[in-house]
Amino acid sequence: MVARRPSLAPLLLALPAAIVLIVFLAIPYANIVMMSVRSPGNGTPYGPGFSLAAYIKFFSDGFYLLQVANTLWIGALVTLCALVIGFPVAWQLGRGKTKLRGIYYAIVLAPLLVGIVIRSYGWTVLLGNNGVINRSLREWGLIESPLPLMYNGLGIVIALTHVLLPFMVLPIMGAIQGIDPSLENAARSLGAGRWTVLRRILLPLSMPGIQTGCILVFVLAISAYVTPALIGGLRVKTMAVTIVDALIDTFQWPFGSALALILSVIGALCVVAFARATRMRWKVAS
Amino acid sequence: MSGRILTGYCLLVYAFLLAPIFVVVAASFNAGNFLTFPPQGLSLRWYVVFFENEVFMRAIRTSLWVAAVTMVISTAIGTAVAIFQVRYAGRAKEAVRVAMLAPLLLPEVLTAIALLFFFYAIGLGTRTMAGMIIGHVVITLPFVFMNVSAAMESFDPAYELAARSLGADRWTRFTRIMLPLIKPGVIGGALFAFIISFDTFTISFLLKGIGTSTLPIQLFDYLRTNFTPEAAAVSSVSIAMTVLAVLFIEKGLGLKVHRF
Repeated sequence: MVARRPSLAPLLLALPAAIVLIVFLAIPYANIVMMSVRSPGNGTPYGPGFSLAAYIKFFSDGFYLLQVANTLWIGALVTLCALVIGFPVAWQLGRGKTKLRGIYYAIVLAPLLVGIVIRSYGWTVLLGNNGVINRSLREWGLIESPLPLMYNGLGIVIALTHVLLPFMVLPIMGAIQGIDPSLENAARSLGAGRWTVLRRILLPLSMPGIQTGCILVFVLAISAYVTPALIGGLRVKTMAVTIVDALIDTFQWPFGSALALILSVIGALCVVAFARATRMRWKVAS
Repeated sequence: MSGRILTGYCLLVYAFLLAPIFVVVAASFNAGNFLTFPPQGLSLRWYVVFFENEVFMRAIRTSLWVAAVTMVISTAIGTAVAIFQVRYAGRAKEAVRVAMLAPLLLPEVLTAIALLFFFYAIGLGTRTMAGMIIGHVVITLPFVFMNVSAAMESFDPAYELAARSLGADRWTRFTRIMLPLIKPGVIGGALFAFIISFDTFTISFLLKGIGTSTLPIQLFDYLRTNFTPEAAAVSSVSIAMTVLAVLFIEKGLGLKVHRF
């Protein structure tokens, strides 16, 4: 062990990072709260005084409440799809002895390395009315008019599930790797079938990974911007798209801030409700 | 038997994961005027169009420049705090880690909005690239931190102690002992910061200076109105650059990158 020095010099190592996080993260976040209670501007992003106009506008217009519900619904669907699709993969990666494991692992990580705009663009090529799927189905004579795969909630769910799947697979894989294989072997030797082992051993013991994965995917899904903007088009808008529109296109800064805060608070409430429902033991994911 | 079902299921998922990336790359070699898959004949014409498109070329140059500056700043700050966390933080070690990972856990769109208001409030605005680069530094910092702190954890303090007993001063110990030993983590973190900065969209979109565009922004704008395979060519080049960087890290330097 290196003896602890009484000197303050080591703190200098942490100083630049501390400045960045405080000045460019903590203070700006606090500033959003301030911005949301500014009065609406007239030709300017915000007015001189303070008011609750932004919140009143939100709660008095059913349109926005519906949009929040829609966004949460999409987030929940994406989380569920990612869990169903991701769990078997996490199991295979966490337990598999296959030689191809390295390649499979790389495939799971690959989407993280391709920019989000490109991945969403790939889905527009696949799902569009003249996209790969519709064109193929038409050429095979299975359908006459294109299936509505894009510019709706379905397309957003498919593409977001793809974009966020690694965030589900990786924590579950970590949890499964941490389960002692002898537990499964013991269950097997006592006559439990694969299904029973999965239900009684693997699922309960990998619960921390499942919880972390679900929370990550849900939070990222309800705040995603690029994918809903490209796939949803102008017809289906999620909260993140509306927020950015309010800030960039119509310059309503207080209203955009209020929307962002409301979305964050509702998202946080959902996470807490989920954690309580699944009896989560709070621990920071490693 | 059920093992085979699992494997089959997983292979389907892998196909799902690769499909959109594969389709974009395949479509970029399309000879036709419109984006179709399978391509109507092979051609590199859209790559030629792309390379002759000054708008996209300027965007690539901007992206590379921003990513390089971000990488240098982020690596310096992230390495320093990782050394502090592993070696000196003591009981605050876990707290420092959580704080450093915060930018990763907060929604990027919220961070971008927060910074946008803040820059206007302090009068920096978005007239210069400074705002965008600061935003990139904030979101890439966790990646540098994770990689360097992992390298620090496996670095045996006994080496440093030995150097000290032989009379090496602090600076010598840092440059001759610690830095060479944690170099793999530093380089891995730096390249990762570069890749994230090169690919990120939301932060750049909200914080970009007037008239400056990075490649993902330019692509996004283009995709809203155009459907030619040129976008596929742009995407393929961007993917190729990232893949090359990762191969360089993992094969060329023999490093394991901590992405998550």
